[in-house]
Amino acid sequence: MMSSLISISNLNKAYGSKKVLSGVNLSLNAGQIVGLVGPNGAGKTTCLQAILGLTDFDGDISVLGHHPRKDRVKMLNDVAYISDVAILPKWLKVSQALSYMQDIHPNFAIEKAQAFLAKTNIAANDKVKALSKGMVAQLHLALILAIDAKVLILDEPTLGLDILTRRQFYNHLLEDFYTEEKCIIVTTHQIEEIEHILTDVAFIQQGKIVLAQSTDDIKERFNLVAVSNEQVAQADELQPLFKNSMMGLTTMLFDNQDKETLQNLGKVTVPSLADVFVGIMNKETC
Amino acid sequence: MTPQWDPEKPIYLQLYQQVITRILDGNIKEGEALPSVRKVAAEYQLNPITISKAYQMLQDEQIVEKQRGKGLFVMPGAQDLMLDRERESFLSHQWPEILTQISRLKLSAEQLLSVNVNNQVEG
Repeated sequence: MMSSLISISNLNKAYGSKKVLSGVNLSLNAGQIVGLVGPNGAGKTTCLQAILGLTDFDGDISVLGHHPRKDRVKMLNDVAYISDVAILPKWLKVSQALSYMQDIHPNFAIEKAQAFLAKTNIAANDKVKALSKGMVAQLHLALILAIDAKVLILDEPTLGLDILTRRQFYNHLLEDFYTEEKCIIVTTHQIEEIEHILTDVAFIQQGKIVLAQSTDDIKERFNLVAVSNEQVAQADELQPLFKNSMMGLTTMLFDNQDKETLQNLGKVTVPSLADVFVGIMNKETC
Repeated sequence: MTPQWDPEKPIYLQLYQQVITRILDGNIKEGEALPSVRKVAAEYQLNPITISKAYQMLQDEQIVEKQRGKGLFVMPGAQDLMLDRERESFLSHQWPEILTQISRLKLSAEQLLSVNVNNQVEG
């Protein structure tokens, strides 16, 4: 039995008459690195805010046995968060950020943050305004790595960073933070880049979870088939989620179809997570 | 660097095969340590469970052994073991397919050998 670190059941949230989340159910276990993926405005950030107790919600959420609103202080001992809009004050020195965290957070180990920063180009005396975007992301990471949280929530942590810095960010995350006792939730638009890092994904669309599964199972479940024009009608009967015609072949995405049947229609390949995402998102809107 | 993975095969199997090939080629020697799971995860940008799965297979097949607190090490005799196993696998799986293809294309022994010779000359 895997132990569930976060469980969400029937989570609903509306801003006035606008429904943002409807009937969200998710269970996150130790060892998982979960990608919460969806188009802009799908409800990703609201969902994370509910988990963090930053917003009111209807339904049940338990984070390490705590209610995010009622036991927020206790919960935050073991939960860390990097927000896409995280802004550290520009006048703050790196050393001040560290000592501030040490003062307010019971689980903050300052020497861990210092050891991490020693591997970067960030000096203790630097002010936030002197740091590049990538360095600020690293400083954030140093602060949360030192908390040794059981749950780490990352909302677009690498937004606006160049590819080297993005790679470095995940490098540190895997080498210095992750253990099998922890759980990481990450939202990103660069799904191709972290597809192999994720153990699980949840696709969210218009406030609803449309797919939540392990990446291994998704690779088993979905297939792409390149179908020739003569066989398109026959393939259509199997109700592809998505199709795209190009240079005489129609590529179709199938969900849970018998492999042998598909092989008779054309060359079968395994879709990337991005392929599955695009297929599912387009299906739901047509 | 992150390797190019074949999307058609599970990555843990490809990683497993990579270790086997490197032992066969002598890149990883007997008695040497494999990099830690988190090192490989960070370097290859893979989730650590994928790497644990591959490492578990190598352990189950007694190609590597765990030394408490120190990690995984290539077992003595692993290279010979792999060589025997991969030869066996080649002769029973790949070779019959190649033979079928050779006879389908009606290739003579001379034709096949001449390709070899040419390649050697060019190489």
